[in-house]
Amino acid sequence: MSEEKRISEEMRNAFVDAQLDAAEWGSVTGRLERDAALREDVCELRTLKDLVRHAYADPPMPRARPRGTAGPGWRTLAAASAAFAILGWLGNSWWSRTPVLDPASAYALRGDWHALRGDWRSLEANRVLVHVSSGSREALGTALEEVEDLLRAARAERRNVEVEIVANSSGLDLLRATGSPHAQRIASLRREYSNLGLVACGQTLARLRERGQPTDLLPGTVIAPSALEQVTKRLRDGWVYVRA
Amino acid sequence: MGLRSIFGPGAAVRREIERSREALYRMAYAWCRNADLADDITHTAIEKALRGAAQLRDAARLRAWLFRILANSLRDQARAQREFVQLEGMEDLIADTGPTPEEVRASAELVQRVRRAVGELPLAQRQVVTLVDLEGCSYAEVGEILDVPIGTVMSRLCRARQALRDGLKPTASEMLGTGLRSVK
Repeated sequence: MSEEKRISEEMRNAFVDAQLDAAEWGSVTGRLERDAALREDVCELRTLKDLVRHAYADPPMPRARPRGTAGPGWRTLAAASAAFAILGWLGNSWWSRTPVLDPASAYALRGDWHALRGDWRSLEANRVLVHVSSGSREALGTALEEVEDLLRAARAERRNVEVEIVANSSGLDLLRATGSPHAQRIASLRREYSNLGLVACGQTLARLRERGQPTDLLPGTVIAPSALEQVTKRLRDGWVYVRA
Repeated sequence: MGLRSIFGPGAAVRREIERSREALYRMAYAWCRNADLADDITHTAIEKALRGAAQLRDAARLRAWLFRILANSLRDQARAQREFVQLEGMEDLIADTGPTPEEVRASAELVQRVRRAVGELPLAQRQVVTLVDLEGCSYAEVGEILDVPIGTVMSRLCRARQALRDGLKPTASEMLGTGLRSVK
């Protein structure tokens, strides 16, 4: 009876804010699996959090006034970090050997699974973007395995994480509803983990359409204007970036 | 994390305080909606924190301690302006100033709409939702910062989010309709 009682607004908010204890968290995740309305509500709350966070990511500067104690160009440093991330992304390479992870100054950017696993316990960020741009069977398989490991580890540690797979270029094969060896596995992951999001690059889809190759995507996949835009937005919002 | 450096705990805390300037300014701006006022409040809070750094015994509580000072600085600022007896009255002072040119240039319409919706919340709700969403504070931390019980934090947060959802409903639909589309 109590299991089927409506999950209160306070509980829903606390779930989204990762403020529940283990028992409460387990109870809400259990309900999420079979309650579509609750899933939608939680999704809306997450979107709202994102909107609020995004709205203040770059607050306006005060008018220049004679005061000499401002920090050493933090806005510039933050912008430079994001720009660096994007450049790395475009260059199809990532800085992966730097052992220091400083979320405050570098938006917790990192480029490899190994590093992420090592840092996971110490990471404050609970949101991970997995960028897939290669369609090789091996790369896609590895990405899925790692995502599953991450979600499972987070659940075991009672961490309320969000994981988003952003696919573009030939990596889009991962999100195809038909003709993909991974479709079933992703669908099962989505059923098991409501905190897994799928995002397809709108530009890649448009290119495929132009070539006469329309793409049938997995249900629940969100189409972003472009993968780059989505990655940029997430980085600004403090997500950890991992290139699959 | 690293607070006990070779320069001593006091110096390390002071460095951490300086590093928090961005977060404090962002929060102050979200609370008072005016860049200059936010700058003043942030400056005051940092000065107070630097003066009182030696009193901080538990480095793990630095964030809560800093944001509590920020909230007190905002309250002091409101008290200093005698015509605004209620803190909420600050909204009226600020609402008419309009966005700065920089704001207009840098922010998309969505950002402005969300900021407006957050700005229209009563201050007590606005403080709770921004501490949780912008800074990722736990409910216990928010309670400590604002000196209210956790139950109050939760109920304020619920009311704030409900008001934001109601106020931003068209925005959220637009976002899904034009920016992000979902495959059914």
